[in-house]
Amino acid sequence: MLLCDLHIHTTYSDGSVKLRRTVDIFGQAGFDVIAITDHVVNGDNPFGKLANRFKFSVTEASFEAYMSHIKEEAERAWDRYGLLVIPGVEITKNSFSSDKSAHFLLIDIKEFIPASWGYEKIFLEAKKQDALIVACHPHRTSDKSFIDTLFLWNNRDKYARYIDAWEIANRDDVFNVISLKKYPYIAGSDFHRVRHLYSWKSLLNCKKDAESIKQCIRSNWGVAITLFRN
Amino acid sequence: MVLFWIFGAMTLWGLVIYILQIVAVRSALSPTRNREAHMILSQSYPPISVIKPLKGLEDNLFGNLESFCVQDYPEYEVIFSLQDENDPAYKVARKVKEKFPDKPISIVVERCHHGFNPKVNNLFLAYRHSKYPTILISDSNVMVDPYYLRTIVKPMDNPEVGLVCNLIKGIGGKTIGSIFENLHLNSFILGNICFLDKYLRIPCVVGKSMLMRKSDLEAIGGLGSVKDILAEDHFIGEKIRGQKQRVVISNYLINNVNEYWNLKKFINRHVRWGKMRWKIGGMKYFLELTINPVFTAFLFLLLFGPTEKSLSFLALVSMIKITGDFYLGRNLSTPMHPLLYLLSPIKDLLIGLLWFAPLADDTVIWRGNRYRMGKDTRLSLCPERGREWKYRIVEGIKAKLAW
Repeated sequence: MLLCDLHIHTTYSDGSVKLRRTVDIFGQAGFDVIAITDHVVNGDNPFGKLANRFKFSVTEASFEAYMSHIKEEAERAWDRYGLLVIPGVEITKNSFSSDKSAHFLLIDIKEFIPASWGYEKIFLEAKKQDALIVACHPHRTSDKSFIDTLFLWNNRDKYARYIDAWEIANRDDVFNVISLKKYPYIAGSDFHRVRHLYSWKSLLNCKKDAESIKQCIRSNWGVAITLFRN
Repeated sequence: MVLFWIFGAMTLWGLVIYILQIVAVRSALSPTRNREAHMILSQSYPPISVIKPLKGLEDNLFGNLESFCVQDYPEYEVIFSLQDENDPAYKVARKVKEKFPDKPISIVVERCHHGFNPKVNNLFLAYRHSKYPTILISDSNVMVDPYYLRTIVKPMDNPEVGLVCNLIKGIGGKTIGSIFENLHLNSFILGNICFLDKYLRIPCVVGKSMLMRKSDLEAIGGLGSVKDILAEDHFIGEKIRGQKQRVVISNYLINNVNEYWNLKKFINRHVRWGKMRWKIGGMKYFLELTINPVFTAFLFLLLFGPTEKSLSFLALVSMIKITGDFYLGRNLSTPMHPLLYLLSPIKDLLIGLLWFAPLADDTVIWRGNRYRMGKDTRLSLCPERGREWKYRIVEGIKAKLAW
């Protein structure tokens, strides 16, 4: 089984650890696969404007440098640790209301997709790029400082068909509604700080390459989750 | 007035010892001595079994293990030893083994409960599995250069030498706990090891790296003789010396990688180490307080209040300590930011406060288990009866504070 964490932030958005160090942390801990998924924040409201202003978001201008740095680190990680690093982003549609906020990962993305686009447009473009779409922390979380992101869950009838998997566990939270609905699932750390290494992870029974991993998650066959502790 | 002179004299005494420690470290690391050491080629390179007991993820674990697999040494094997396949270190060990398919690397896993020392328990199976007559027991949190084995094996040419251990330096601090740990390793611990070795001819064995012959270990009763001893490294050294053999501290500096420790981990380790020194040294443990000049200057401040004199005295002593630690750091080529040395007096104050802990409590928590420590650091199961109220309060506070 491949030990995977497909929800990781770095200093390219609001993470506290630089990309190179992040790769080393996961490599030194024996991980098989990680996805770097920094925020791409919608710039059409004050939240997004602030995030863009203070560089807590990957932007269209910084996307190329972001992708090229990930590619460079991916080569190093493969040679040094046998660690597969997949590029991705977390589309971040923030609002003052939990019901209107949504975060979702686009894993193995190739071209920049703005978060200010409509949901369907983003999903279709992501499908065109063959990126994996994962709804993040889709239900109530225990983090009191965090505005919950319930939009996708509340509108699942409309959008579930676009979503390849849902986070059934995020860092320390578990969302049992995902299993009750029998949706495809994965777990991730939503890594922002070093201590988040010890959190929920996915175990995938497939080959160690991006295509096999996406296929494994989409079919949701051979997927397990584990609470990674030291 | 008497107290004024007592504390003043204690602080000065501490500073003198500290300066002697710096001289001892300087001498141990002197380029002349190192050059000579490197020029003396070992007459033989006996095959070595490197035993690495693993438990949990240490900082930089992959890199640490990898560094033992790329040794420039004619014949050696590496054995990673664990108690459980579910240990996260198992996966790292497997990845290291996969990276070097041509190297003689083994992973042995077995639950073993021969004694109370979990590290020694971890060593039994690897020891049985090892095939060479010379073994190196090495902790999982150390990283070495490719010429490490070649260097440390040199003293073994002399049949009178029964054990070779190493000086250690802390590297990689990125959080407050690991910065404190590295400052402490590179000043107090390294300084004391070099001081004892140079001036008192007492080799202080630190278990991070112990090279010995199996025959010598068997002669002192094997691993079984230290299975219930927490300071197994110290007693292996003592017993080998008791066999009229020499214990040598190699001047090869091994890197102890401490990157992401929190303060709690630093405190736990030094309370545990303090308890070991208290159980081993007895009354000598009280001398330790006098060789922490920052703490004695702080006591001086507490006794006489924040006067101009006491504050200036504490500031002066702190400055000397910061400068000394910085000088040591430079000599050790430690990649630590110069401003971080300003934390050194705060670390010393904390260490001074922790010094009292062993006097109040004789239990230790190590690798998740709680033990009572008796004479010579002999471990026994911690009696819960009569103490449960205490643990309940402590655990309750911990649960409240947990993030």
